[in-house]
Amino acid sequence: MTRTAGVSVRKAGVPAGAVEVCSIRLGSSVYGVPIRHILEIVGAARPQPVPLAPAFVGGLVHYRGDVLTTVSLRQVLGLPPQAGTQAILILESPDGCFGLLVDSVGEVLTVAAPDIEPNPSTLGDARKGLFVGACKLKHRLMVLLDPTRLDPALLGAAQAA
Amino acid sequence: MPIDDLAREFLIESQEGLDRMERCLTDLEQRPEDAGLLAEIFRSVHTIKGTTGFLGYRRLEKLAHAGENLLGQLRDGKLAAAPSIITVLLQLLDGLRSILKGIEADGSEGRDSDDVLIARIEQMQVATPPVAGPAPKGRARSKRVKCLPRKKETAVPATELAPNVEAPAPAVPVSTPSVPIAVPVAGPQVNAAESTLRVDVSLLNRMMNLVGELVLARNQVLQATAGDPKMTLLSRRLDMVTADLREAVMKARLQPVSNLFSKMPRLVRDLAHALHRQVRLEMEGQETELDKSLLEAIKDPLTHAVRNALDHGIEPADVRVAAGKEPEGILRLRALQEGSHVLIEVADDGAGISPEKVRAKAIERGLVPANRAGQMTERELLQLIFLPGFSTASAVTNVSGRGVGMDVVRTNVEKIGGKVEIDSRAGKGTTLRLRIPLTLAIIPVLIVRSLSQSFALPQGALSELVHVSEEEGTAAIEWIDRAPLYRLRGHLLPLVFLNRLLEPAAVDAEWSQDRSKQCYIAVLDADGRHFGLVVDGLNDPEEIVVKPLSSALKEIGLYSGATVLGSGELALILDPGSIALRAGVTLANDEDAHPAAEDASASASTGGDFLLVQMAGRRAAVPLGDVLRIEQISASQVEYMGTRPILNFDGHLLPVEDVGGLLQEDRGCPEAGIIVVVCRDGARQVGIVVSHVLDVATGGDLVEAGTGQRTTGVTLLKDSVIAIVDLRQVPDIPVDTPCREAAVGGFAEPAMPGSMELLP
Repeated sequence: MTRTAGVSVRKAGVPAGAVEVCSIRLGSSVYGVPIRHILEIVGAARPQPVPLAPAFVGGLVHYRGDVLTTVSLRQVLGLPPQAGTQAILILESPDGCFGLLVDSVGEVLTVAAPDIEPNPSTLGDARKGLFVGACKLKHRLMVLLDPTRLDPALLGAAQAA
Repeated sequence: MPIDDLAREFLIESQEGLDRMERCLTDLEQRPEDAGLLAEIFRSVHTIKGTTGFLGYRRLEKLAHAGENLLGQLRDGKLAAAPSIITVLLQLLDGLRSILKGIEADGSEGRDSDDVLIARIEQMQVATPPVAGPAPKGRARSKRVKCLPRKKETAVPATELAPNVEAPAPAVPVSTPSVPIAVPVAGPQVNAAESTLRVDVSLLNRMMNLVGELVLARNQVLQATAGDPKMTLLSRRLDMVTADLREAVMKARLQPVSNLFSKMPRLVRDLAHALHRQVRLEMEGQETELDKSLLEAIKDPLTHAVRNALDHGIEPADVRVAAGKEPEGILRLRALQEGSHVLIEVADDGAGISPEKVRAKAIERGLVPANRAGQMTERELLQLIFLPGFSTASAVTNVSGRGVGMDVVRTNVEKIGGKVEIDSRAGKGTTLRLRIPLTLAIIPVLIVRSLSQSFALPQGALSELVHVSEEEGTAAIEWIDRAPLYRLRGHLLPLVFLNRLLEPAAVDAEWSQDRSKQCYIAVLDADGRHFGLVVDGLNDPEEIVVKPLSSALKEIGLYSGATVLGSGELALILDPGSIALRAGVTLANDEDAHPAAEDASASASTGGDFLLVQMAGRRAAVPLGDVLRIEQISASQVEYMGTRPILNFDGHLLPVEDVGGLLQEDRGCPEAGIIVVVCRDGARQVGIVVSHVLDVATGGDLVEAGTGQRTTGVTLLKDSVIAIVDLRQVPDIPVDTPCREAAVGGFAEPAMPGSMELLP
């Protein structure tokens, strides 16, 4: 699988030490995923539900000939489900690809390294495992996600344990 | 040390050469005089030796050289191919293989010493001293041989030239030694190289995947353009090209079964020696082809089956003689294609499996309670050997019988969508049949609906479909406490509600309302578990491309994969075996309750399956393969052209055969229900009016007394002689109707309410 989609979003001339982050919206919060993990963004998708699947599974989607498992970020974070269509980020992981179900996808931001701070010590353990840190935007904070920790295989194993 | 392309090429070539050598060696044991075989073996070792020197594999070269010397003597007739020599040569083969394996793994030949083996090989040579020839002359010639342009021949050792020493042809010395080697090496290999190509398996996998995508796109195009006459021609062409392409790519992955079978002579030989049995191996149908991945997947089960046949099946020679058999046992491996499956048979003429021993062992192991075992029939007892932890060998040998036995064979074969069947007669032998699908990537399924979703049900496990209409709903499904049951031809069939299984919480709420809905029962036979899966609706049968699921979803255990349907919708592929397990369906325990399994095992040897029907006063049989579906209609739907009864299904007319005169009886009351069995006869469809459909059973062969010829037109069903309905006798409809289309679309038609479909 090629990373053409990821490349196409990337802007030329990113300063050294800076990260390009795709902002995603979930309810009133803003999260960020580094775009080097993103293969493609699929809008207005309706994943096929899987009966008896673990709660974090948002369903199945058809992506370039493969059937991918999606992870519902709302479920993972313990938020109530949202009605209506959602967007899916197709993310790369060592086990293959998976989809991340979010409310909507925003713009791609270039974030300088000094603007990123680690998780606050007061954050709950479950969240600490999923978040990399916080990114200080002009008016608000953007929580940086670590896509590798959202892999359905990992979440499944964590739940089993 | 990483290996380069040249070395890789050498490894592949050498391995192929050694495979050939192994085949020849086991043949050589039967025909020790065959010079062709010896030349072939010599060539394999010689090629390895020639190339190793060039690539710098010293250890390999040394061993190959020792072997070549011995083989040279054999080829020149100075030594006879005694069994002891063949044993040494096989050891040489193993030695070469293990070094090659090491090179493949880490690029090095390993540090082990081959001295013992080399000494043994040399000892064999010494045993019969070579015919003495004038040594100086021989040497002189070997120098001239070096003038040959062929690089490989430069390494020809002196011993090999020995025979020509006597040949009084000094004028043309160069040609004599090289001809027998050079010509066969060059001949067939060059031709093969010109017309064949080595392709990476991963590339083939990718091609298969892409073709799968194309099949999906085609399905979607076909569905989208179904109503557009302008697109019909185009989409039909797309359909055809896709089908051809798929077949071609699938073909590219096929390999002859001989690739697998060729390992068997050696295995049988070694086992026969170890177990002190005399065994003759017969192989048939080696040209039968199977997908490469499947071939790999059945390697272990087949090896195990062969081991079992030798260890537990074929008796020692003295026991065989005492039993009035030839001292030499026969192990027959047979491969043949049967529709979309390949059948691989492992048959021995050994002691067979004693049902009593199985019974005793099963009780001893606590696999079945004693009272239950006492009531089991022979066929059921035979099925017990597939249970985990079962082994009938009284002594655990190192060949087989470690408690992991037939259950592993069955699990492995079922994992790839195949089936294992066993037939055994005490004293006569055992036949094990592995039924393997031709390919894994694309499987035929029936799309069923439940929970407003589509699910794919593999056709392999499906034996029939039953429709339960709204009116029948409550009455047809009976309950013992919370266990639903259905009476299928007089036997109780446990039911599993798919929606209840998949959404236990949600469905419990509508428990009562649920009972009176119309539904379909898919009668499944999975791993010997017979049950009915209740679904809300049926869609068309489809050929689907199997897509793997992520590990998080695999863990649920009920789904074997997912697929994209023609409509673009995703469907989970249900795993009937796991559903049965999850729902607590146990192995079928009533002989009559699993006719499907029974028929399947018997069908290979007898006349095939028949639908047993009642026609007024008599019974008749319809070949099951020709039955498309069974319709329940009211008598008034039958129309007449002159005196010929015909039926109109959505504008498709089919002639109706009424042998029993049932229509005449029913003419008085037009609302009377009649049953029509719709059959395929060549390209057309015909209907046969019957009073009842009784059963599906396997027909037995009948022979005419005196002549011993097989009868036609009648078969033995359920111990009575039954006439087979001759579909060709049904007269054609005398007008030019679109009958052909009906025949083509017949199977794909959605099930009509009130009908019961039988799937071939």
